[in-house]
Amino acid sequence: MVEVIQQIINGIAIGGVYVLIALGLTTVFGILGIAHFAHGSVSMFGGYLTFFFVTGWGFPLLLAILVALIVGLVLGVLIELLAYRPVRDANHINAFIVALGLTMMVEGLNLEFFGHEQVVIPTNLSRVFNIGGVTIPELRLYVILAAALLIVAMTLFVEKTKTGQAIRAVAENRDAAILMGVNVNTIPLVVFSISTALGVCAGVMVGSLFAIAPGIGEGLVVKGFAVLILGGLGSIPGAVVGGLVLGITEALAAGFISSAYKDVIAFVVMIGVLLFRPQGLMGKAS
Amino acid sequence: MRLTAITAAFALTATAAFAADKTLDIGVSDALTGGGAVYGLPQANAVKLAAKEINAAGGIKVGDDAYMLNVIAYDDKANPTEASNAVRKLIDRDGVKYILGFCCSGATGAVASFIADEDAVMLVGNAAERSITTREIPNLTRTRPPADYTGAAAGTFVAEKGHKRVAVLGALDVGFYASYVDAFEKELNKAGGEIVSREAFGLKDRDMSPQLTKIRGQEPDAILVVGYVEPAAFIYRQAVELGIDVPRYGFTSGSEEQFLRVATSEQMEGVWDLRPTELTLLSASDNGKAYHANYSAEFGIAPSPSSPYAYDQTYALKDAIEAAGSVDDTAAVAAALRGLSVPDEVVMQYLPVDGKMFDVNGQAYTSNGAFQWQSGNWVFVQDLPSDAAAYSAFLSTID
Repeated sequence: MVEVIQQIINGIAIGGVYVLIALGLTTVFGILGIAHFAHGSVSMFGGYLTFFFVTGWGFPLLLAILVALIVGLVLGVLIELLAYRPVRDANHINAFIVALGLTMMVEGLNLEFFGHEQVVIPTNLSRVFNIGGVTIPELRLYVILAAALLIVAMTLFVEKTKTGQAIRAVAENRDAAILMGVNVNTIPLVVFSISTALGVCAGVMVGSLFAIAPGIGEGLVVKGFAVLILGGLGSIPGAVVGGLVLGITEALAAGFISSAYKDVIAFVVMIGVLLFRPQGLMGKAS
Repeated sequence: MRLTAITAAFALTATAAFAADKTLDIGVSDALTGGGAVYGLPQANAVKLAAKEINAAGGIKVGDDAYMLNVIAYDDKANPTEASNAVRKLIDRDGVKYILGFCCSGATGAVASFIADEDAVMLVGNAAERSITTREIPNLTRTRPPADYTGAAAGTFVAEKGHKRVAVLGALDVGFYASYVDAFEKELNKAGGEIVSREAFGLKDRDMSPQLTKIRGQEPDAILVVGYVEPAAFIYRQAVELGIDVPRYGFTSGSEEQFLRVATSEQMEGVWDLRPTELTLLSASDNGKAYHANYSAEFGIAPSPSSPYAYDQTYALKDAIEAAGSVDDTAAVAAALRGLSVPDEVVMQYLPVDGKMFDVNGQAYTSNGAFQWQSGNWVFVQDLPSDAAAYSAFLSTID
């Protein structure tokens, strides 16, 4: 039993990261219909930036994260304005190609500015809590709590604020939103800012828990899209449930079936779910 | 008399100027970026360092000529296709006849599959897959011993420590890591021990807590970690975080600096690395200490333990070209490599077979060693039992 609980906790930590990546992707996809492949690389950029602020400029970790978040917000605005807005009214394939090009560009910039070596964001959080044989490293605990906090904040923002309502309105029916006086030129900027900031948070978590290196972002974005499909395209609760299901499934598969095939098993579970619920766990049937 | 002296001086100057004009391009194909770069980039640097030293000492002397080395390095990303392309580019476009580097087995195996048909000599460094030197390729040599040669020695060592139940966590889809574990297991079984679990991870995996949780539940006497430095460092760190307190053995060949990027020295304390006796400053010979100092000064970072395989390749090549008396006759140079004594300048501690650095298969052997992490450093503790001649005979029996 201890082993099962331990594996679930292992899965929740990585699942929290998947959730944040998927939340960023799902808001962009749900509202703007863009498959933002560069999201993983942008997340890694945020992680690299935090690492640079901490090790290069000596910033305290929280300040470094805050500055990286602000940079992320600005970067999100720039991505929308310079990359996606020009192709907003064009064929979907144009945005698709822009997304791929942007991925390569951001990956290249990461490599150019931060090098090929893997980096780990130093945290000094090395305590380990042991509760009845189940161990929880301090850092993982903070990652789980931070992910939960961000999920709650994101949900409250979307559900309870005027901007959130406007975002939902644009997602439901863009033309109706215009008639209701929603500024549909501003909403994509807000969406990309939030999405990129969430990505930066995920990058910081990956960089402190594990490592940031070239190629890691691409792997994360694949998992992010898998979560999106599993949870339901454009659904925020779906991203949360899907991320946790994927993370926990991976951990349990590695622990009880085969570590060599943990990714395969996780994706088989995903396909199995989609066979019975093609709209995803929390998606609405069309 | 005075005229004769002036003429002689002029002639000497002219000869020196003529010699200085001769350049020999040598190629490097190695992982300069990506996961294998922790091994490949230091290797490429090591070749450049050796070339610089050789040039400073007057170059490679062939008859009356002295050849200055010019290194052309391409990034093969440890990828078989990229490596094949890089080597084709070196041979076809750059006209290179001597290709060094090769840190990683997949990429190296791809190049080895066609190098026998080329007018070129391939000198393999850190790549440890056994089959690279079982194919009877006359123009290929390797400085690093195969992984199973070391794995057998490691198995004996761990069995002698009294461990009966060992859990393995490794990059087991990589051939040479799997062969290390197979040889390890064979020796462990002979002593009555067993491997109770074989858990795998991918090269890009950094979260090994699910596998470690499973291992913790099996209560092994020890764990064995085989894989690249970066994931291995996470395993050592996460093992401590999960409260696993059994002895940790490994086969990684990472430097202190590489491990400390991921784990603290406290988390690493007591870890063993059972590997060829590669460079560690505390156990280095005079050559090793000089190499460490020169490398650090040149590149601003300490060399990785396995990087001297490439440094030593360069000196072996120099001696072989000088022995062959030609830079153009690659067959003669390849033959000279197989007849070579261990050069004076090498860093690794080679065990010659029949007095030669490379055996009939083109394989060199170093001693194997047990290194332990003690207070922030890899400390050489003892030699592992290694019989180069017996292994060489065994290697010759494999098709």
